[in-house]
Amino acid sequence: MEILTGNELMSGATVYLDREGRWVEELQHARVFNNDEVEARDAAIAATKKTLRVVSLEIETVTLSDGAIYPDRIRERIRAEGPTAPRFDRQHLDEDGHVSI
Amino acid sequence: MYRYDEFDAAFVKERTAQFSDQVARRLTGELNEDQFRPLRLMNGLYLQLHAYMLRIAVPYGTMNSKQMHMLAHIARTYDRGYGHFTTRQNIQFNWPKLRDIPKILEDLASVEMHAIQTSGNCIRNITTDQFAGATADEIIDPRPVAEILRQWSSLHPEFSYLPRKFKIAMTGSPTDRAAIRFHDIGLQATTSALGEIGWQVWVGGGLGRTPMIGKMISGFVPHEHLLAYLESILRVYNRYGRRDNKYKARIKILVHEEGIDSIRQQVDEEFAQVKGGVLHLPQDELDRIGKYFVEPAYELVNETRVDVAREKILNPLYGRWLEHNLHGHRQPGYVSVTISLKPIGGAPGDATDAQIDVVADLAERYSHDELRVTHEQNLVLPHVKITDLPAVYARLVEHGLAEGNAGQITDMICCPGLDFCALANARSIPLAQEISRKFGSPERQAEIGDLKIKISGCINACGHHHVAHIGILGVEKKGTELYQITVGGDATEQAAIGDILGHGFIAEDVPAAIERLVDAYIARRQSPSEPFIDAFRRIGKEPFKEALYGNA
Ligand code: HEM
Ligand code: SF4
Repeated sequence: MEILTGNELMSGATVYLDREGRWVEELQHARVFNNDEVEARDAAIAATKKTLRVVSLEIETVTLSDGAIYPDRIRERIRAEGPTAPRFDRQHLDEDGHVSI
Repeated sequence: MYRYDEFDAAFVKERTAQFSDQVARRLTGELNEDQFRPLRLMNGLYLQLHAYMLRIAVPYGTMNSKQMHMLAHIARTYDRGYGHFTTRQNIQFNWPKLRDIPKILEDLASVEMHAIQTSGNCIRNITTDQFAGATADEIIDPRPVAEILRQWSSLHPEFSYLPRKFKIAMTGSPTDRAAIRFHDIGLQATTSALGEIGWQVWVGGGLGRTPMIGKMISGFVPHEHLLAYLESILRVYNRYGRRDNKYKARIKILVHEEGIDSIRQQVDEEFAQVKGGVLHLPQDELDRIGKYFVEPAYELVNETRVDVAREKILNPLYGRWLEHNLHGHRQPGYVSVTISLKPIGGAPGDATDAQIDVVADLAERYSHDELRVTHEQNLVLPHVKITDLPAVYARLVEHGLAEGNAGQITDMICCPGLDFCALANARSIPLAQEISRKFGSPERQAEIGDLKIKISGCINACGHHHVAHIGILGVEKKGTELYQITVGGDATEQAAIGDILGHGFIAEDVPAAIERLVDAYIARRQSPSEPFIDAFRRIGKEPFKEALYGNA
């Protein structure tokens, strides 16, 4: 299973594509693409690229446990939460940082 | 101290305006990311895991208090109240927002700073000895030459698109505190048989995926020919350096594959053409630049000795700070002071805006308005009167900057690692913190003596792990962070690359593994005055391997 993630242009904040086609801060709101949804996934990537507003776009593999999304890579788990040491809150979107496809 | 000449001022202003315009065009969508990315990198702006990162150049690690105050202002106004000082003797901010970058660059330009050439395949900021122009053991102050090199390499049209990035380090002292043998070009001041001062030139050193010790390409190049000689090296590199493969593109690979003798011959041929031409550096030009670096107006002081033993009895922590954080000055009655950015359990190299302001104040008041950033991620007040030490120390204590651990096991170099860096395989800062806590007591550190631990979160080796006495390299294996340990590296004139001892460790096991290495050393040293690296050279790696992995 996969999710789409990237960094929002203005703030650089980590964002995820949700089920409504919005790029949001919360990992748990991410749309999970099953293995048979490659076309939908690629269409979402193409639509996102057109916005020019999400950079470092990546496909990340995840596992679901009890309905929660768990990225396979530690890198992704750190991206979702912010640095572990020194511990800082993740970067947040500004008012005008909300992007939809 | 270097002065921006008119060229710099005009250029930086123009570049700042240009970049503001580029940011505006990016925000409106006129530029896409593929077009914008190279432009932002040329201005020191990276995108990391969580946010943008802005890398600001500190030419040869020297700043004045006004510039340092500006860094505090930027940390406070546009970032999260801190900055990260790095092994490249510069500073990085981890949380700026794109729309603020033009303002930050304007603020920087107002104090003659910028972020140009901190990224990309150009000649990067030239680094040098943090005690340059102050240390007692120096043949010559390298900064005038560093400044000339900075001017020569700034936006050099021929060298803006080299096969790969290019780093030059130099030292005016025979004791190498700038790791010159691990840079693309290393320069070491030397004296010829005739008593003339010039430069020994080393080429092809580097860390990263393929660590290499630089090789001496010339034993003596006089000042006046240095630019012509370096230009000759760069030309040979530009012509033959491999552009087909990013991992083989550094000059170290060219030197390794071609052999130093062949490279030397080609450089000499080029040099014969270039020598005496426009790059000739007359003495009066050197003198002109030298005037920017005039010695501060030192006072004649009666007190010229620090009685560390006495102070240790009166105040052990102050005594310990004096013992480790002072460096001998050429001017009687003065010392250079290292301000450790390695508090026990802290993130190496980080300083808050308030701390940055305090150091700026101290530099202004007690160090002739000068301060330095070290490649070991500390700060230095280069010219402090011995009689001012108690006042300086008291101020540092108030602001959590008085750790007396310079050169000790807790004075680690550590890259940002997977907590921040987009290229990382594993985290490095939490490991540094754990190790720092484990060995944090002054008694334990005193028992261990000088020992350098350096940590990188991937093979790019920004944390210099290859040249650590004990190096730690983060790798990733099946989704877990693993750490390889190396022993026996050395960044000084006795340059060596550490050996990997065996399989990697998970993070939780690393501090204990380091402790086994330390204990193996203590058990085998000839006396407490034999440092770790000397003991390693004498007994080799086997005892350390055994300490880590047993006899099996
Ligand atoms: C955070 C963003 C960073 C990125 C993207 C980055 C990228 C890289 C890369 C790709 C290399 C390998 C170059 C090669 O072998 O061709 C490298 C080397 C290096 N970097 Fe970084 N680095 C970063 C941060 C830092 C920091 C924070 C420091 C200082 C603490 C630093 C200092 C160095 C040094 C000293 C080297 C090795 C020397 C050499 O060039 O051989 N870098 N970096
Ligand atoms: S060594 Fe690797 S992890 Fe560390 S800063 Fe450099 S590129 Fe990032």
